[in-house]
Amino acid sequence: MKKSSVSRLNLIGVSLSLASILIIFQMVRIQNSTKHQELSRWADEEYSYAIENYYPERGNIYDRWGRLLAGNEDVYEVGVMLEYVTNPTTIAQTLDGVNQLNYKDIFTSASKKYDPKKSVYAVLTDFLPSGVIDALSQIKQDYELTNPYGRKENLPSLRGVVWYPHLKRSYPENSLASNILGFYSFMDREDGIGYYGVEEYYDNLLAGTPMETFMPRNPYLLEELPNVPAGASLVLTIDREIQAMVEKKLDEAVEEHEAESGTIIVMDPRNGEILAMASQPRVNLNQYWKYEEEFEGKTPFNRAISETYEPGSVFKVLTMAAAFDTGTVDEETIFNDPGRFEYGGSTIYNWNRRGWGKQTMQGCMQHSLNVCLAWVATELGKEDFYKYLQAFGIGRRTNIDLGGEEIWPLSTPGDSDWYPIQLATNAFGQGVAITPIQLAAAVSAVANDGKLMKPHVLKAIIQDGKQYNTSPQVLSVPIKPETAKAMNSMLVESLKEESSIALVPGYNIAGKTGTAEIPVEGVYGTELTNASFVGWGPAEDPQFLVYVWIEKPESSPWGSLVAAPVFSSITQELVRYLDIPPEGSEQTLIAKES
Amino acid sequence: MARKSNQAYKQAPWRRQIQSIGLSLLPVVTIAVIVSLYLIISAQAAAAGLQIMNLHYEEEEILRTIANQRTQLALITSYSQMHKQAEKMGYEVAPESNVHYVTIEGYQGQSAVLFAPPPGIENDFGPLVNELYNQSLSNWFLDTFFTASSNSIRGDS
Repeated sequence: MKKSSVSRLNLIGVSLSLASILIIFQMVRIQNSTKHQELSRWADEEYSYAIENYYPERGNIYDRWGRLLAGNEDVYEVGVMLEYVTNPTTIAQTLDGVNQLNYKDIFTSASKKYDPKKSVYAVLTDFLPSGVIDALSQIKQDYELTNPYGRKENLPSLRGVVWYPHLKRSYPENSLASNILGFYSFMDREDGIGYYGVEEYYDNLLAGTPMETFMPRNPYLLEELPNVPAGASLVLTIDREIQAMVEKKLDEAVEEHEAESGTIIVMDPRNGEILAMASQPRVNLNQYWKYEEEFEGKTPFNRAISETYEPGSVFKVLTMAAAFDTGTVDEETIFNDPGRFEYGGSTIYNWNRRGWGKQTMQGCMQHSLNVCLAWVATELGKEDFYKYLQAFGIGRRTNIDLGGEEIWPLSTPGDSDWYPIQLATNAFGQGVAITPIQLAAAVSAVANDGKLMKPHVLKAIIQDGKQYNTSPQVLSVPIKPETAKAMNSMLVESLKEESSIALVPGYNIAGKTGTAEIPVEGVYGTELTNASFVGWGPAEDPQFLVYVWIEKPESSPWGSLVAAPVFSSITQELVRYLDIPPEGSEQTLIAKES
Repeated sequence: MARKSNQAYKQAPWRRQIQSIGLSLLPVVTIAVIVSLYLIISAQAAAAGLQIMNLHYEEEEILRTIANQRTQLALITSYSQMHKQAEKMGYEVAPESNVHYVTIEGYQGQSAVLFAPPPGIENDFGPLVNELYNQSLSNWFLDTFFTASSNSIRGDS
C-alpha cells in the first residue's frame, strides 16, 4: 500500500515535470522561431506606434481693444470606416443634402469594398458644424438601439459612419477689415496658407510649427507627449469701431459720388499706428473663395497699399514743406501768379486756368495754385526737391506689415525716364505715382514735428504665454520741427480762410485737398479725377491723420467737394471715439454747471 | 544504546516535512512576491500611461472647445450684432450737442489690452510636478538621511 502510493506520487511528479519542461521548451521554441520574429516585427511596425500629425491652432487676431477679428471654430470631417459599414443606403439617405452632398456620391463611397491595404476609410464631407454632428450622433444612437451592430439588414443603421473634429479659421466680423486681415485658405487643410494683409505677412507666426510624431500605443513606452504650441496671436492697432465707421462712410461716399472706388486711412501720426484702413471692394472672409468674383481683373486686394496713382494737390504739402525747410520760401514770400508757368518746354496752368495775382505761400496752398508750387519747386532746385521727396519715403516701400505692398519708382534727375518738366509737375502731384499709405505716412511727418513714423498694424504679439508689445519706429526726419509747426499753422489757416467743408466745429484741423487728373492713354484733360483730402488734428497736438481718396467720382471732379466732406464727417465721429474734447469744452461745461 | 540516543535527537518526521516544504516554497513565494510587485507596478505604469494619453486627448478637446467658444462669443458680440442689438434696445448715436467732456483727475483713458504678462515676468508657481516625484530612491535616501543630518549638525553649531 505504502509502496504503491509512493510510486503514484512519483508518476504524477514526473508527469507534471515533463509537462512543465514541454511548456518551457515550447515557449523557448516559439520565442526563437523566425516566424515569431517576423510577427513581432510586423506588430511593432503596425501597432506599437502611430504617426500623428499635429497642426497647432492658428493664432488669433484681435483689434487694439482685444476684440476678436480672426479666430478658430470647431468643425468636423465625416467619413465611413468601410470595414464596419452594414447599410450604405441608410448612410446615403441620412446625409443626402448635408453640405451639398448627394445620395449617389455618398452611396458610392459607403459601398466601397473594404480592403485593409487599399480602402479602409472614405471621406464623405468636411467642415460640418457641431450642431449637425449632434443630430447625426443622435440618429446613429437611435438606430443602434433598434438594430445593434447593424446585424439586421432590413433595419436602418449608420454603423461605420465616423467623424473627427478639427479647427477651422473663422472671421466673426465677416467682411469688416477684410482688406487688412487678408485670409487663410482653410479649405486646404494640409497646405493652407495666408493670403494678403496680416494673414500673409505674419503667416509663419500665426501658423506655428506643425509636427509629425510617433505616438506610442504601448502605454509603457509613453514617456513624453509632443507639446505643440499654438501659433502666436496678434493684437492689431486697428480699432474695430473706427474701422466699421470708416468703412460705412467710404461706402456711402462712393455711392453718393458714383465713384469707381475709394480708400480711407486713419492713423496716429505720433507713432505710425493705423487705426483704420478701408478700401473697396471687400470680401466676406468666411467665403474667401468668392474673392475672384469681387476682385475682378487686376483689382488690388487692398488699394491703400497696393494701388499707385497720381495724388494731385495733396502732394503740395510735401513740396511746400521742403521749400520751407531749406528756407527757399517762408510765410512772408510773395508770388505774383500770372496764371501760367513755362518750364522744360511745357506750360503749367492753374486748375481754373486763371492767374491769381500776388499770393503768400498760404494763399498758394489755400487756392491750390499749380503755377505757384511749380515755381517753388524750381526755386528749390531739382537736387533738393528730390532729396526731400526721398526723405519723405516717396518711391520706397513704407514696409507696412501687410502683405502685398506695391510702389511706383520715383524718377529722379539722371534717370532715363526723367524729364525737366517733371520737376514742375511733380511739385503739384502729377507725373509721380504713390500709394495712399505712402502719402499718409509722408504727410504724417508734417503732423508729427518732422518725424516720419513707420506705419504699422501690429501692436503686440502673444507667444508662449508672453505678450511682446511693438515699439514705434522713426523711419526718417525729413523736416525740422519748426518747419512742421509752420506748415501746420499755414494749413490750419488756409482751411479756415477757405471756409472748407473739411472743417470740424470746435477743432483746429490742418489739411489739404487734392484733385488729380487721370490720364487716359497718356493724355490728361479728361473728366476723370482722383479726388482726395488729407487732414490731421487737433493741429496743436495732432492725434489723428485721415486720408480720403475717392477714385473717379462722377458727381464732381473736385477733392474739395467730394473728399473734404467725407473727411469732416469721419473726423466728427473720430474725435468722440478718441475722446478728444473740442476746444473750450471744459469751460463751457463749468459755465453750465455754475 | 547508540541507536536509542540517535533516535532521541532526531526531529519528528512531520516537522522535517514542513521544513522541507517550507524551504522549497520559499523561493517560489519570493518569486511570486517579486512578480506580484512587478505586476502591480507595471499595471500602475500602464494605467498612468493610458491616463496620460486620455488627458492628452482631453486637453486637445478642451483647447478646441475654448477656441470654438471664443469664436462663438466673438460672433455674438461682433460689430454688426452689437449694432443691431443697440438699435433694437432703442439706443442711437448721440448728437454732437449732447456730448459733454468731463476731466477726471488721474484717469488715463482705456488701458491697453493685456492678454499675457510681458517678457521678464516669470510665474511663481514653481515646477508643475513636485520634485519628489522625479527623485530616485538613492537620491531620496541621501537627501533624507545625510542632508538632513548634516543640516542638523550645522544648525547645532
